[in-house]
Amino acid sequence: MRFHRLILLVVSAGLLSSALVCVTKAQEQEPVAPKPRVFVDFVAANNIVVSPGHSAPVQFTFHVQDPYHINSSQPLTEELIPTQLHFSLPPEVAFGKLQYPAGKLMSFPFDPSTKLSVYSGDFAIKGIVLAPGQASSGIYTIHGELKYQACDNNACYPPKKLPFTFNVRVGSGGKSVPKARPTRTSPHIHN
Amino acid sequence: MNRTVVIVLCVVVGITALLLLGKKASKPKASADPAKQNVSGSQEPSGADPAIGSLAPEFSLKSVPDGKTVTLSSLRGKAVVVNFWATWCGPCKIEMPWLVDLQKKYGDQGLQIVGITKDDSNEDTIAKFTKKMGVNYTILVGDQKVQDLYGGVGGLPTSFFVNRSGKVVHEIIGLDSESKFEDAIKQALL
Repeated sequence: MRFHRLILLVVSAGLLSSALVCVTKAQEQEPVAPKPRVFVDFVAANNIVVSPGHSAPVQFTFHVQDPYHINSSQPLTEELIPTQLHFSLPPEVAFGKLQYPAGKLMSFPFDPSTKLSVYSGDFAIKGIVLAPGQASSGIYTIHGELKYQACDNNACYPPKKLPFTFNVRVGSGGKSVPKARPTRTSPHIHN
Repeated sequence: MNRTVVIVLCVVVGITALLLLGKKASKPKASADPAKQNVSGSQEPSGADPAIGSLAPEFSLKSVPDGKTVTLSSLRGKAVVVNFWATWCGPCKIEMPWLVDLQKKYGDQGLQIVGITKDDSNEDTIAKFTKKMGVNYTILVGDQKVQDLYGGVGGLPTSFFVNRSGKVVHEIIGLDSESKFEDAIKQALL
């Protein structure tokens, strides 16, 4: 009889524990606050190594999440907001003119008769990074920001900024400076 | 034996209470109100949207191009469509001619469409754009405060249909059909 009572107690304790776990999990699932919507992710930048007085190619890859699209860097109408990449640069690093990919010409259910120039899925922005001859060797963390405006098939969303960082190593390994020069030599923000 | 029965009863009652508590806690909080249509398919919670049946939040905004201050309360007695839009919003451009037609059709019955822009563009740009689109209804320059009052207005276009008593009777997020828009207007005019 005592043995049965012991088993009953152990089983009851187990059931109570399970029920408590269920309650805790259910409470954990309660939404606390809406997470901000993410339309575009920064995927990667290539390994950037540039010698002082030289240049190196750079490529930034982004991913537009399904089912969204964003305007290309050259949307077809003036009201639309173009995608733009900006950097905050230290004096040791400069950028040449960025090469944005051509947008895909697509029409959407909200206006099947009109084509828009957009990016969807993965897209890459290329450029040249330069280090002045007097740049000190070292690894520099650069802050970039992608400005974009996203839509889906039925709605558009306010312009957003996607901040990201990447490293530029100033040291051996860079290529010769091409004829192209940075369009702007400001040490801070570069279009 | 009696002690065992008491223990078993206590455990059963305890487990039942805990399970009921858990079920209550896991219930989704978002309402499945049929008067709230989210055409955009967005999964993002819309925050504190004005609830269907509640009074539409008051606003006081400047109109374009005449610069007059317009308040929602000044439109009491009319059915009002509070339509959030922007010049950079393609679906909003598709909706605008519908709104023009509906304002013409139901204006005499007491409909007032109010387009609140979520643009950073200057007022001249907005005025030129609305002129180009042949807009015949009131255009107001929105601000963050009014957007917050209307649930943040994540996606555009977003429209709230307000009846003559100032209560929200319908909401459409994203571009829907002109007929659904008209149905919601009729509901607001009742």
